[in-house]
Amino acid sequence: MSQFLQAAAYGLVQGGLLALVAVGFSLVWGVMNVINLSHGALAVAGAYLAWQLNIHLGVDPFVAIPVVAVALFVFGYVIQRGLINLVINAPIFLTLLLTFGLSLVILNLLQLFFTADDRTIDTAYASQSFAIGAVFIPYGRLAACLLAVIITFALAALMTRTRLGRAIGATGMDRGAARLMGIRARHVYAVTFGISAALAGIAGTMIATVGSFNPTTTPGQLTLDAFVISVLGGLGNMYGALVGGLVLGVAESVGGLVLTGTWVNAIAMVVLIVTLLIRPSGLIGKAQYGGRVEV
Amino acid sequence: MSSRGPLGLEAQRRPWTDLVGAWVRTRTLRNSWGALALAAGFVAMLGVQQVVEPGTQRLLATVFMFVALAQGWNVIGGFTGYASFGQVAFFGIGAYTAAVLMTNYRVSFWLAMPAAIVAGVLFAVVIGVPLLRLRGHYFAIATLGAAEGAREVVNNLTPITGGGIGITVPTFGAEAPTAYFGKPGFYIAFLLIAILSIALCALLARSRFGYAMVAVHEDEAAAAAVGINTTAVKVVAFAVSGAIVACAGAFYAFQQIQFYPENVFDAGITVLMVIMVVIGGSGSILGPIAGAVGLELLSQYLRINLGLYNQLIFGAIIVVVVVFFPQGVVNFFADAIKERRFSPLDNIRRYRL
Amino acid sequence: MILEVRNLARRFGGVWAVRDVSFSVAEGEVLGIIGPNGAGKTTLINLITGHLRPSGGQVLIGGSDVTGRRPWVIAHDGVARTFQIVKPFRGLTVRENVAIGAMHGNHRDRTVAEALATADRLLELVGIAPRANAAPSELSVADARRLELAKALAGRPRLLFLDEVMAGLRQSEIEAAVGLIHDLRDSGITIVAVEHVMRAIVSISDRILVLHQGSILASGTPGEVLANERVIEAYLGHRFARRRSSN
Repeated sequence: MSQFLQAAAYGLVQGGLLALVAVGFSLVWGVMNVINLSHGALAVAGAYLAWQLNIHLGVDPFVAIPVVAVALFVFGYVIQRGLINLVINAPIFLTLLLTFGLSLVILNLLQLFFTADDRTIDTAYASQSFAIGAVFIPYGRLAACLLAVIITFALAALMTRTRLGRAIGATGMDRGAARLMGIRARHVYAVTFGISAALAGIAGTMIATVGSFNPTTTPGQLTLDAFVISVLGGLGNMYGALVGGLVLGVAESVGGLVLTGTWVNAIAMVVLIVTLLIRPSGLIGKAQYGGRVEV
Repeated sequence: MSSRGPLGLEAQRRPWTDLVGAWVRTRTLRNSWGALALAAGFVAMLGVQQVVEPGTQRLLATVFMFVALAQGWNVIGGFTGYASFGQVAFFGIGAYTAAVLMTNYRVSFWLAMPAAIVAGVLFAVVIGVPLLRLRGHYFAIATLGAAEGAREVVNNLTPITGGGIGITVPTFGAEAPTAYFGKPGFYIAFLLIAILSIALCALLARSRFGYAMVAVHEDEAAAAAVGINTTAVKVVAFAVSGAIVACAGAFYAFQQIQFYPENVFDAGITVLMVIMVVIGGSGSILGPIAGAVGLELLSQYLRINLGLYNQLIFGAIIVVVVVFFPQGVVNFFADAIKERRFSPLDNIRRYRL
Repeated sequence: MILEVRNLARRFGGVWAVRDVSFSVAEGEVLGIIGPNGAGKTTLINLITGHLRPSGGQVLIGGSDVTGRRPWVIAHDGVARTFQIVKPFRGLTVRENVAIGAMHGNHRDRTVAEALATADRLLELVGIAPRANAAPSELSVADARRLELAKALAGRPRLLFLDEVMAGLRQSEIEAAVGLIHDLRDSGITIVAVEHVMRAIVSISDRILVLHQGSILASGTPGEVLANERVIEAYLGHRFARRRSSN
């Protein structure tokens, strides 16, 4: 029994991290109908930046977060403005291919500089944990998970309370109408992608702090998880992504306990396909942009 | 329907023999050039085989394989408009069906290969019926999920497939159910697969079924309204596409002798198929050929000459081509020649925000 | 009766788009369906031709029950339709667009060549033969409607639904369309025409059905319907109805 509780607790904190990866992915998908296959690469890029800041300047990863976020925001803004906006009206597999190519470029550059080795950011607190009964919870993971929750709420507030957020939402619902009302779609899309990249960078930093990362297997896994969570939570729905992340985290963690071999790898896929077939608008939340016609 | 009225809508039912006669009479050089070109290509490639070394033959065999894979993806992704991002599942299923039959049951390759095709078709029907109700991105990623799932099944059915430690097809001596083809043999085998898949897709494209696929691609409601069973068209297109890929997978398994689930279920193979078709020009016959030959030769060149940077450059090329030729190189030049507008910048204006 | 509709109903969420609609159409008849925007005209066509599943009721075509069948099954029964917002297959030429209907409809041409020949005859009939090799996007509004009609005819239907084929056309184009619909009826096709424009429908219909808020408000010959107070009220508002009765 305690084994299950431990797995569930671990899954919850892990799920918070996954949710942070997924929130930005879901935002871009919802607003611009782009599946960003380079999302995992952006997260890993953020992880490398925080890791470099840590080993060269001794910056604590939690302190490095604002730097990583700003750097990734600028990078994301430029990518959207300079590249993705150019094919935004093309058939869907073109944006898939473009972001895939982008991801290859980013990851191979990282690999050239830093090799394909597994990396982690060492901190004093990452390995320490506290106990509730028989369940151990690592400080680092808990902090990362809480941060993920806070950021998700902050993003949701940004989207509903601010002028910028409303402009993003309006552009996502109906680009033509938004443009008629004086919203600069090119700029809004770039800002949206920038925010998404910044969130990915933060998530990458946290992943690097509580675990390890590399440029070959980590990015693909993160992108796939982000996709599954976005579908689970309902497209473009921030809270949905948060809950979806927690659900997937617990499912994988508990599943790993019960299943033998590598069957656990199939869990995300099973969850994904079943969700798509039963309720493509999301199991948990209502899709934010459900009424829009998919082109 | 009554035959009165001035419309002349009433079609005369002619006997089949008449139709065949009409078909033969209407053959001209103009409408047979494709078949002639294909035959010429086949003969030319047989000639090439005589002058190149075995190493080069193996490289070209891989190019031929990708021509077939690209044609296969084009049926569902290009003509029918359903971007399958799990197409490698058919490759893996074809490879493992053939390998398991040959290894565990000593079945001849010439029986194992058709069995692999049947397995591919079955998989297409089983996952196609539910998943083809999804559209756009949802279909793309659901198929990706199905492929990952298929890999895990193969990975975990250790008693049959050998799981993660891979499988080794017996190819020599009395153990071997079918004698190994060797490099020249596989060159011809993959060349034939490429030629046959091109011929099959070209025939499909000109048939009533081909028009039905395009109609489904353009507008499913309108297609259904003119009497096209859209569900059947999508599932059959997916099955044809899967059959071609599974067949290539079976030959690949035999050629490789030893392989692992992560080789033949590598999502990168799917991405290559998609890139080849999209960059060459989707929904045409020439596009996937051009894309597969061009990209595979390029990637081989990069791998040999620019080792460390090959993936980086490959990624950059994808980005540049997607931005400048979003409709594919073949389609771009076809339109450009027709309209006499060769500037790729005009091209960008079409899809940008 | 070639078409019988019994108590057909469909709701979206809590709103009934079509409610308890019953009518029948005899072979060779032209039935006009009119009603203000949002009356449920297009929904009714979608329900009969299988593009929407009814929430209740029955549809019988040639006496057999086809309620809830898929659109292609109904098309193979000899029913064709046009779409209010034209739906050409954009990647194909005008000629190929029509040929697709000829390959897959009620009566099927067995080869692509036969279907293309059929398409040429139909393009001639609707009057856009010179545009055969154009892309559908190059057509004018009126020509796009003609293409839509040719596509529907290509399956050689016995029952044809026309969804606002005359909306947005000029007077001369409307006259040509009316003539064409008469020709179609004379060749034995039963026609159900939905129109927003009262004038055009009166001249082609044997009988008219007035839909209002999803239900049948009135039905009868064009003369009867035009004289019906409730129809005038629904269409032109209370004020007009009062003024008319006081005159």
